[in-house]
Amino acid sequence: MTTTWHVHDDLLAAYVAGRLDAIVGASVEQHVARCAECRASTTPLVDPRLLARGWDGIRDAVESPALPLPVRLARRCGLPEPTAVLLAAATSLRTAWVVGAFLALSFAALAVVLAGGELLAPFLLVAPLVPVIGVAAAYGHQQDPLETLVVTAPYGRTRLILVRTVAVLASVLPFTVLLGLFLPGPAWLAAAWLGPAVALLPTLLALSSFVGPRVAVAVVALGWSAVVLFSLRGLPATWPVEATQQLVYLALAAMSLVVLAARSSRDRRIGAVL
Amino acid sequence: MNAVDLTAVTKTYGRTRALDAVDLSFDRGVTGLLGPNGAGKTTLLRIVATSIAADRGDVRLLGRDPHGSHAELTEIRRELGYLPQELGYPGDMTAFGFVEYVAVLKEWNDRGRRHREVRRVLELVGLGDLATKRVSKLSGGQRRRVALAQALLGDPRILVLDEPTTGLDPTQRADLRRTLSALGGRCAVLLSTHQTEDVAALCERVVVLAGGTVRFDGTVTDLVATAAGRVWLCDDEPGTDALVSWRTGTGRHHVVGGTPPPGAVPTDPTLEDAYLLMLGADAHAVRAPA
Repeated sequence: MTTTWHVHDDLLAAYVAGRLDAIVGASVEQHVARCAECRASTTPLVDPRLLARGWDGIRDAVESPALPLPVRLARRCGLPEPTAVLLAAATSLRTAWVVGAFLALSFAALAVVLAGGELLAPFLLVAPLVPVIGVAAAYGHQQDPLETLVVTAPYGRTRLILVRTVAVLASVLPFTVLLGLFLPGPAWLAAAWLGPAVALLPTLLALSSFVGPRVAVAVVALGWSAVVLFSLRGLPATWPVEATQQLVYLALAAMSLVVLAARSSRDRRIGAVL
Repeated sequence: MNAVDLTAVTKTYGRTRALDAVDLSFDRGVTGLLGPNGAGKTTLLRIVATSIAADRGDVRLLGRDPHGSHAELTEIRRELGYLPQELGYPGDMTAFGFVEYVAVLKEWNDRGRRHREVRRVLELVGLGDLATKRVSKLSGGQRRRVALAQALLGDPRILVLDEPTTGLDPTQRADLRRTLSALGGRCAVLLSTHQTEDVAALCERVVVLAGGTVRFDGTVTDLVATAAGRVWLCDDEPGTDALVSWRTGTGRHHVVGGTPPPGAVPTDPTLEDAYLLMLGADAHAVRAPA
């Protein structure tokens, strides 16, 4: 719609300064919204910093990508914003993956419940492997197309991998502990699966530095499955996570850390420790 | 102090010597690296980008040693922009998301400042309006520009660009040249390319690498001058001793090197002619005779 009448300069200045009463203000606003010429005359009257701030805010909302749900929840719990951006790019922290992990754990727990507590193997098999697979999916050459940039960035590849590892573990930890508490069997089972999980993670990282994450995760998963299957041959249901075995896992973790440290000191790729 | 100082830098992969005791220094300005595939260009750039370490020799970046302490390495990396030859993009990232991810890796921790910087570099490569588009939906040239944008974050003092013009159309290449020449005044830009026209249009200095050694290091004009009197135009097929020759669109033969064929008219050499002559027999690895 075109119009020949335009808002007077003084009136426009008063409108921009917020000095008009509600009725006159609303009338001017109605007109300015429809009249390009008056809108153009408004522009020099508005503080450009205010405009820039408003525009930045709009672009922020439109341009910055939405964080996946698990990362948003972690933000609520105090996760720093820059770390959230990094974690959002990791496949294993996407909503779909986390839901998948929860489903796998739930089915394993269901199998234990249906077996009436005689059989803990499904839960003991799945619980330590979920974080291991999650870390493998968030790590390494094939999984991380940005590898070349990660290696040369000041943030550091090792730090990124460790942050992701902790994040993956943290994302499944509460749910797994909760399931463990409700399962038939001893209550300490809720924490016992952490032993092998914590041992298998450095093992995965150490192996990955030789053969890459894909092969490494397969080796670790097969190894742990063998341990759990072995326990099915007449051993107590809790055998894979009993004290003696936990010591073995601790030794395995320590050994893997030593291997990682040795690899990092000899590696000729600058900064590419893992 | 130069931005980049390389002394007797050697790097081998198995039995292949990718770089053989290379001495080079770079400071402000745009330097072009030319050389056939396997000449050691990418290895050299990766060493300067602190992606790999040299086997032997001394590397100084901004006066610091990248093989030194972790703190020293991090200091260097804060002043470094790197565009690798090949870069993957997580499928569902937007252009903005991709550059922002790298910005976080480069320690832009303040959200507001980071977003402004991401926007600035995207505008600089002409992708301001495509910020919200997924990288997987962008064309090859646009993707290359997204990759370039991340290298420009924070106005680095050393900018390492491995074949930045691959996949760009002539207009985009011209735009990129404008961006890079503006940057060259402020930082050391090191770029490798197969496009001699880019080097001729953009670089104050050109380094020709072949077989892991430096064959030429000087100005573009000096490199072109080495071919003076060795390039001809003639009507007949040239003799077999010409280094390369091809029939041009006008029907005449452009002959580089060898003895001048009968009736040949000397012509002004291009940078490409000089480059091919510089490589000599190695040139055939670059361009087979037409």
